[in-house]
Amino acid sequence: MMKIWAIIFAAMLFSGCSTSVERIDSDTTVDLSGAWNDSDSRLVAQEMIQDALSRPWISDYTGRTGERPAVIVGTVRNLSHEHINLKTFVADMERELVNSGRVDFVASRDERGEVRDERLDQDLNAREETRNAAGQELGADFMLTGQVNTIIDAEDNEQVRFYQVDLTLISMADNRKVWLGQKKIKKLVKNASIRY
Amino acid sequence: MFRFLATPLLGLGLLYLQGCSSWQINQLSTALPTAGPEETLKKLEEIDPSDRDRTQYLLNRGVLKLYSGDLDGSRQDLEQAKVIMSSLQAVSLTENFGALTANETLRSYTGTPSEQVLVHAMLAMGYLFSGNLDGARVEMLQANVTMSRLGERESVSGQLASVRFLAGLIYEMNGELDDALISYRSAHEIIKTRGEQVPDALATSLLNVSLRQNNDEEYEKHVAEFGRKASLPKANEGEWIVYYHDGVVTNKTEARLSVFEPKLRSLISVVVPQYPPSRYQPRRLSIKSGNGKVGAGTDVNSTEVIEMIERRAREDLADQSAKIMAAATVRAVAKYQMVKEAQKNGGGLGGLLANIAGVLSEQADVRSWNMLPSSIQVARTVAPLDSPVQIVGKGLALPPLNELGASRSRAVRYGVALVNSLNNRLLSYPPVKGIKSNEGQPNEQ
Repeated sequence: MMKIWAIIFAAMLFSGCSTSVERIDSDTTVDLSGAWNDSDSRLVAQEMIQDALSRPWISDYTGRTGERPAVIVGTVRNLSHEHINLKTFVADMERELVNSGRVDFVASRDERGEVRDERLDQDLNAREETRNAAGQELGADFMLTGQVNTIIDAEDNEQVRFYQVDLTLISMADNRKVWLGQKKIKKLVKNASIRY
Repeated sequence: MFRFLATPLLGLGLLYLQGCSSWQINQLSTALPTAGPEETLKKLEEIDPSDRDRTQYLLNRGVLKLYSGDLDGSRQDLEQAKVIMSSLQAVSLTENFGALTANETLRSYTGTPSEQVLVHAMLAMGYLFSGNLDGARVEMLQANVTMSRLGERESVSGQLASVRFLAGLIYEMNGELDDALISYRSAHEIIKTRGEQVPDALATSLLNVSLRQNNDEEYEKHVAEFGRKASLPKANEGEWIVYYHDGVVTNKTEARLSVFEPKLRSLISVVVPQYPPSRYQPRRLSIKSGNGKVGAGTDVNSTEVIEMIERRAREDLADQSAKIMAAATVRAVAKYQMVKEAQKNGGGLGGLLANIAGVLSEQADVRSWNMLPSSIQVARTVAPLDSPVQIVGKGLALPPLNELGASRSRAVRYGVALVNSLNNRLLSYPPVKGIKSNEGQPNEQ
């Protein structure tokens, strides 16, 4: 009996007292719980924006106006089963759009408010030659909106998690939908049925 | 020499280390109706729970923070509790061994089926009253997955009408009427299966949404059942859905059964958890909408029970009783064998010590989410957009819905409020800062 207890305690002692930290590349995919993670956010944003930029709406707009389209990211709703931090997803999309160099990007509603406050402050406090005038903002030509949906199918310790991300690019001039993007992810999650 | 005492003595040691926090939590729960959530929260935060009791601790702290208005803190605690409960679904070898040789409290607390569902409802309320309707919707989707996992054929274990109703409400506010109707239907079915009274708020929801969905057949069925027609708000009206959490759910207690075995001169002790008979009587909360004068364009409504937590807690325990008894029997046999071995190896003294250790280590698992309300009540009332709604007896007034962003031109005009019997704090969606009680009455009579 004592031997059994000695083994159990040794196992408890050695498994419970060590914390290990390993630095890994931020692009490395690590799936722990099966939930939406940084890799999903980054990969979906990359793929969808690349798809959006390869479609004819850009060349149509540029050909018609001679200018690059200005895009703003509107609301991306989380209608999934998880509390997904959509701010990182939106930030990933913004980064992809800006870095593509093929579109101009307009600050979001919250960011605009802060910039306008700063401009007002400049009016009062900055030297005249360094002031930026109000009323010179670039208006967006297109708004990107979207939603994340999930379907969960679970049985015993297994779960299939299906994510569908839908993005829509809408022309601000006439409400036309000029691009519809969709990305699906399916994960099979097997939870342990026994723990120590 | 006394190697045979290792198991019970180890059990006693562990009990000493961890039994204290759950006992303290239960004491605080008993005192909660008089101490109030804020004071109880302070005392609870002085407790350092063992890992096995951490879920119970976080669940209770989460609900106290919700009642105290600390919505961020409440969400953090309840989310953490939810994650722990999920991770504990797998069977633990060491905990099972401990439970079968010493007692049930050596298992980590995973929550009853009702608690596993209610954590989503409390979280949804936290998100909702923070103004995050999508966050609340996420919790309701998760609650649906949890209830599907817990649901068995011809059983309503882990199926909560109040959570289905809340899901329906969230879908309805989100404009998803088809999903709302499905959830309201589920709530209705659960209540009928349990043979309980359908609250007026649920009847109104079923009537209104089936009518708005043009589901004539279902609408007529509900009209026949409830004896009235839908009461959709007019262009200058909106709706307040008021939740009332009344009382504090009863604590579990120990029932000890000790039998003397004359042949072995041994006292065999079996201890199981039980609920004392409930003396709880729900107290309703009156809600007055309109111009404030009864009988002159004023509607007086009152909250009705949609979930009797007292009853759910007892049902969950009853569902577990066979397992608990089986484990207790295995344990009793193990301890009997231990005493027998002790008598053989250590003589009379060894047998006596083993017997004492066995009896003392036997302890019922009386942990529960015991700071939940005794009942969850709800009322759904139509109110003019420009008039406040009075919560009579609490001295609280809900502001006119048009001050919260509702207007004639907006199709969706809802307000949701949570009031509890333990303090005079009011939480609302859309969130309103600075709602305070005019009077200091702790309870509605």
